[in-house]
Amino acid sequence: MKTILVVDDEPDIRESVKMILETRGYNVLTAIDGDDCLKKLKEGNPDLILLDIMMSGTPVSEVVKHIKDVKIAFMSVVRISEARKKGLCTQDNIIDFIQKPFDVGDLIGRVELILGE
Amino acid sequence: MGGEKFDIKRILLSKLDRKLTLLFIIVALVAPSLAVYYFYMLAVSALPETMIANQSNLLQTAAAMIIILIAVNAGVIGFFVSRSITKPIKELYNATQEVEKGNFNVRTDIRTCDELEELGHAFNRTTVSLGKMAEERKEIDSAKSEFLSITSHELRSPMTPMKAQLQMLQDEYFGKLTNAQKDSLNIVIRNADRLDKIIVDFLEISRIEAARLKFVFKEIDVGEIIQETVDLMKGSAKEKNVKLKVNMGKLPIIEVDSDRVSQVLRNLIDNAIKFSKDKNTIEIAAEAEKDHILLSVKDYGCGLNPENQMRVFEPFYQVEAASCRTHGGTGLGLAICRGIVESQKGRIWVESTSGKGCTFYFTIPMKPIIDIEPIKVLFSQKDSIERKLKDAFQTALGPLGIGEFSELKNKNALWRDDILEHIDSLTGQYILTPKQGGEFKHTINTIFGEEKEVINKKPDTAAGSGEGKVIK
Repeated sequence: MKTILVVDDEPDIRESVKMILETRGYNVLTAIDGDDCLKKLKEGNPDLILLDIMMSGTPVSEVVKHIKDVKIAFMSVVRISEARKKGLCTQDNIIDFIQKPFDVGDLIGRVELILGE
Repeated sequence: MGGEKFDIKRILLSKLDRKLTLLFIIVALVAPSLAVYYFYMLAVSALPETMIANQSNLLQTAAAMIIILIAVNAGVIGFFVSRSITKPIKELYNATQEVEKGNFNVRTDIRTCDELEELGHAFNRTTVSLGKMAEERKEIDSAKSEFLSITSHELRSPMTPMKAQLQMLQDEYFGKLTNAQKDSLNIVIRNADRLDKIIVDFLEISRIEAARLKFVFKEIDVGEIIQETVDLMKGSAKEKNVKLKVNMGKLPIIEVDSDRVSQVLRNLIDNAIKFSKDKNTIEIAAEAEKDHILLSVKDYGCGLNPENQMRVFEPFYQVEAASCRTHGGTGLGLAICRGIVESQKGRIWVESTSGKGCTFYFTIPMKPIIDIEPIKVLFSQKDSIERKLKDAFQTALGPLGIGEFSELKNKNALWRDDILEHIDSLTGQYILTPKQGGEFKHTINTIFGEEKEVINKKPDTAAGSGEGKVIK
């Protein structure tokens, strides 16, 4: 069973994404910001990290540098242009951008695609 | 011959120091010349003839030398005196030029101990306070920008869990639903979507009003953008059984923001689809003109009456015709399109015959505008324009003007080109003189915003970028 780490400073979003993914049979961990994310990374062993792009605390660009071998998908409420996406894809493990608010089916589809199912 | 004379006059009088020096020389020459002449005549009459005859050479040379010396002296003194005046004036002039460019850090350093020095101090004090105002403006702008981006985040965040939960409810994640529950949920979801769209659109408009629209320009074939957009819209066109037809001339490759062009085009096509009837066609055309590309979206739907035509670009204005009720629109689409097009100094307008359909036109400049100015989209231009037109007609034609104006209004001919044509016909009938016609036309053009006064358009980046300069 694959594990997904959901990182977002909004509790409702963490809760909602957790609910959606758990019904699909994933094991879901949550973190409240970048630092918490790195902590949970050591405890659990996620196959995918859904990372909100705008959070307080350590900026995402810093956090990402410490994550090298787990797939990351950014989530953002602000529309990201293609140009900005290129700028954010600084590492090979950053592989998707999910727009918030998302369509439930879309989210599931993307997650499954990333995890190769 | 006359031209030459005029030039000499200009050469002599256009520089203050030349004028003054010349004045000095003339004054300095007149008095001594008179004096020398007088004394010469006195000498001639008082002294014996032989003496005069012997000394006449000496006398003449002396006289000439005195006059020349005085003239030279006067010239030199005149030059320095006038320079002491013109130098500070020049300094002030250069400093003013800098301020005009937006550099408020400039200061003058005039030490002539006279009124000009006082003027220099006053100038410095003025630029200091102008600089402070510019700083304040910048702070307000950056606070606005900060507020906008926080607001956009805060406003849209609640939508995410809301929509996610509603969707899960609807997809029966939490148990089967009764029909009544399903209907209720549909209404909630529909309105949540609507709210989300309004928020997104509203944020766009805020950005347009604050000139915070971001454009990314790349060299692209405009035809490709059009074709891609049309392909994107084919799905929704098919749903309403409407065909999309593209008609493009040869289009150049220019620097343009393809996302924005696509956005405007999508919006217009979307509207066209909403207004079209079953089995209609929508024609999308594009043509390269002198300094812009003209695009159009033509539908054969129910068209717009004159009042709607004027108001259709207003925020939240939606056409009320029951047979053409638009669903799911926020009413902001066209206002946003207008903001985008006008930010690039383009034009967007509609031509329509009620009952026969509409054609929406917009232009893209060949060269993109990098310095975006704020565009006002949040108030109705229609009433204020009509009022100004009425005044213009009255001014130009007196009481006859009111009649002419009402006639044009009833014929739905209150568009710029129609009015200009009408003025030409009035001139042709000798109701207006060519001069009056020209002036009238100029007023009309100003009302429609074609002719703008350009009072120094320099980007804000210039202000404060000049280091404290003392102009010498």
